[in-house]
Amino acid sequence: MAEIATVCPYCGCGCGLYLHAEKGRIVGVAPSLVHPVSQGRLCIRGWHAHELLDNPKRLTRPLVRRGGDLVAATWDEAIEVVAEGLREVVKTDGVQAVGVLGSARCTNEDNYLLVRFARCTLGTPNIDCSLRSQCFPELAGDGRGFGQATSTGQFADLDESDLIVLLGSDPTEEHPAVAARVYRARQRGIRVITVSTRRHPLARLADVHLPLRPGSEVRLIESILHVLMIERGMARAETGELAELRASVADLPPEKVAAETGVAPELVREAAELYLSSSQAAIAYGSGLALSQEAAAALQALTNLAALSSPEQAPRVVLLSLLSRNNLQGCRDMGVAPDMLPGYAQLADDEAVRKFERVWGCTLGREAGLSAWQMLGRMKAMYVMGDDVLRSATDPDAARSALEGLKFLVVQDIFLSSTAQLADVVLPAAAFAERDGTWTSLERRVQRIRRATDPAGQVREDWRIIAEVSRALGRPLPYEDEKQIFEEIVGLLPIYAGVFYAPLAVNGGIRWPTPEAREAPFASEATGPDHPAARPLDPGHPPAKTSEQRPILLAADPTLGPWDGEVTVCQTMTVADEFTVADKDYPDGMLLLNPEDANRYSLRDGRPARVLSEKGEAQMRVRVTDEVPEGVALVPYHQAARTGLLTVLENTGTGRPMLVPTAVSVSPVQ
Amino acid sequence: MTARLLPHNRIDDFVARLVGSAEVIAPRHVDGGDVFYGPIDSPAEVAWDYRTAVEPLKRFLLPQRETILRFWKDDGIHVEPEYDERERVFLGVRCCDVAGVGVLDAMYGGEIPDPYYLSRRERSTFIALTCQQPDEHCFCVCGDAGPFLDKGYDQQWTALTDGMLVEIGSERGESLAKAHEDLLEPAEVEHIAARHRLAREAEQKFSDFHAYIAAAMRMLTMNEVQPEVWEQAADRCLECGSCTFLCPTCSCFTVTDRWDDREGFRERHWDACLYSCYAREASGHNPRPERANRLRNRFFHKVSHQWAQRNGRQACVGCGRCVVGCMGWAHMPAVTEAIRRGVMT
Repeated sequence: MAEIATVCPYCGCGCGLYLHAEKGRIVGVAPSLVHPVSQGRLCIRGWHAHELLDNPKRLTRPLVRRGGDLVAATWDEAIEVVAEGLREVVKTDGVQAVGVLGSARCTNEDNYLLVRFARCTLGTPNIDCSLRSQCFPELAGDGRGFGQATSTGQFADLDESDLIVLLGSDPTEEHPAVAARVYRARQRGIRVITVSTRRHPLARLADVHLPLRPGSEVRLIESILHVLMIERGMARAETGELAELRASVADLPPEKVAAETGVAPELVREAAELYLSSSQAAIAYGSGLALSQEAAAALQALTNLAALSSPEQAPRVVLLSLLSRNNLQGCRDMGVAPDMLPGYAQLADDEAVRKFERVWGCTLGREAGLSAWQMLGRMKAMYVMGDDVLRSATDPDAARSALEGLKFLVVQDIFLSSTAQLADVVLPAAAFAERDGTWTSLERRVQRIRRATDPAGQVREDWRIIAEVSRALGRPLPYEDEKQIFEEIVGLLPIYAGVFYAPLAVNGGIRWPTPEAREAPFASEATGPDHPAARPLDPGHPPAKTSEQRPILLAADPTLGPWDGEVTVCQTMTVADEFTVADKDYPDGMLLLNPEDANRYSLRDGRPARVLSEKGEAQMRVRVTDEVPEGVALVPYHQAARTGLLTVLENTGTGRPMLVPTAVSVSPVQ
Repeated sequence: MTARLLPHNRIDDFVARLVGSAEVIAPRHVDGGDVFYGPIDSPAEVAWDYRTAVEPLKRFLLPQRETILRFWKDDGIHVEPEYDERERVFLGVRCCDVAGVGVLDAMYGGEIPDPYYLSRRERSTFIALTCQQPDEHCFCVCGDAGPFLDKGYDQQWTALTDGMLVEIGSERGESLAKAHEDLLEPAEVEHIAARHRLAREAEQKFSDFHAYIAAAMRMLTMNEVQPEVWEQAADRCLECGSCTFLCPTCSCFTVTDRWDDREGFRERHWDACLYSCYAREASGHNPRPERANRLRNRFFHKVSHQWAQRNGRQACVGCGRCVVGCMGWAHMPAVTEAIRRGVMT
């Protein structure tokens, strides 16, 4: 029996765990006590991480579509079909018609090679990752915000704060390692403020909970800024950014925005008071904020708050961006994006571009390509690595049609996901315990994963598959192993300077930037009055208004069942039910409703309700709970699009279509 | 059965002989920095000065996954059980963990003997190593399982100035001592006295942490627990399963079959009664639909008198792993205190 130290493949926390291996087979999992993130703990996903490895549904052989069905093929055959298919589309429709999607699950090496493959071998700028929509829009380039929206601290900062704020996050569902810290912090007297629509377990235990009406995050933070700057006189600058900021919130007292935010003014002031009496505040924000229409403004609002920090008046602020997946941070660091190169290098930066051109041996296009959501419907061919396009789509039906309409689709993955089922070629990839590589967690912690068992069937590492395809297209990518790729990454990315491969094997890895990363375009981890970040906010889209006819505001909640239906979790044997049962019990969507509203509209728990919006009509089964404020209804995010009830509007900043809170009426089904 | 002394300069020889005769499971440092119980190839690997191993002994008697039978079809249908018949010596393992085995024995060696468990159990020898310095999360004194045991072991070793005091607790322990008599000396009166003194001293070294198990037992058994306690506990539990999987006495499992058209196998996996679908029936009905129900069920199994009667002891040994592993704040000390006070902090 051997214990092999590696990292959990699920959420963005990056917990260290051990795989128990016996005779080459993984027989179990154990937490690591010494690991700085897990500290002896694992969540329901981590404890069963090994079960996806030898699940019979694993893709073990290449599949090629022949006569309508996907049939097994040899690697040589499959690679040839891929090369031929891509060449064909480039010939008839041009490289701009080819799109590439990278992965928030795959390693840095896999993603880095995919970027090189897309931009050099194929020559297309259309490279992105569907889950990047769950990150805040990039604020890089002109130095706005923190350079690139990312955490400015680490979990240990939660322990050292005297105030923890959870914004748009239910860590018990999405980031258990964070939840564990908050529960422990509470025991030590650290105060907790939660801001979310749903009154989740930590919200019930918080010192102050602000029950936010969906879509009003920005207004709420602005009213807090009003209390701090106007009523409590913080940051009394006469000129400059802070003065502009003050002017922008001068007319936003809590009373004025209470109807929009749903938060009583006394609660806002109570939260502001707690904030002022703290010396360090850790603000963790999650998918509830990232998937809101005004996500960019919300992040700027938080940045404004942090900019007020001063030793005399306001707490030092640490921001934790709670990214959803194990390597979503790394995926972004590696430049899986249409408008930048690895390490957040700008396409307009001649020196940076030349550097990559020299090492990659090609000329790089300087125009930005299309993002993931823009590609759907506009591409003729797509190459998808470890990305669940359909699951992240705002409109899964439209996304499915778009994929079905492609001339050529290649999918590289470990299971036959719903996306893979539509492919012309499916290439079986090695799972996390079957290969080496690195992932970067939401703490910017770069850690190594280790090979602990032989790869299943004929699977290959994602990067190796890409290298094979590239070779077949006339551009070999001659890498021997993950270490070599990683060393090239470190050499080319200033933000990864000083992150050496060998020490990554030590429990906890290395967080970037290291002291050696002097050039890194990344603000220091401390915020303070020197920070050039404060900026008045655009009013953005007005929030949806309810009416007598449509008195309830319905919103999609990404913190509800965030793992339900996710392919790698549902392929575990022991806990698959935990992540599929809600969809079974509420196949047309779960409608969470407050008991007062349920009474008011004659609805009962477990019974169907007729829900009407301007956009459509649906019948949904009701779940009565006091977790939801009066006047608001929630549906789990992954079920929301199917209901056809929610208005789709553009995200301010990215233009991505999003489901926004929508006024509805609810009534019993006759 | 008299106690012996194993002088310090002969410990490695003793261990080397054990390694030659059986699979020896001992605490050892792994690449990654933690201490786990696991097989050793040489005496040098034993981490004698450890405090706690990350996991209890359960994994060696009841693996997280094990194949329990295979079936195949040729001219007929064949079913073959698979038993683990390795001889094992558990060396230098903690008293609390050895005490935990006793509860697993009641579960798997009781009314419905489990042949897979028993095949391993009957081939296991337990050499406990007493604790002279508890870890900060330990409460074996509340768990009636340490820092020194009075029974339930084959041998119990205590590190003294002169060597290891070897207390014999069973015939198996006595046979082992006899087989290596040449390495052992008789224990003197002062060795026994030192052992008792060390036990008393160790009991003074626990941190302020307690688990009010006796009070919890009384109140659970007599149905005097405030219902709000379970609701409040539910707000502090993430259903991660850590308490279940790290607990020396938890033993819930599920079974899955896998087959193609020619052959297949049946596996048993660890499961957790806290998981929402654990008891969910095929009809969709769930006898414990709320987390509060499941938590109450768990703690009833752990510290009610009814279950203590069945197990021969309470099902908590105070190893403290649930305290370390809980992702919320619903571990044994937190919940027993809440039961006693009527409210969770």
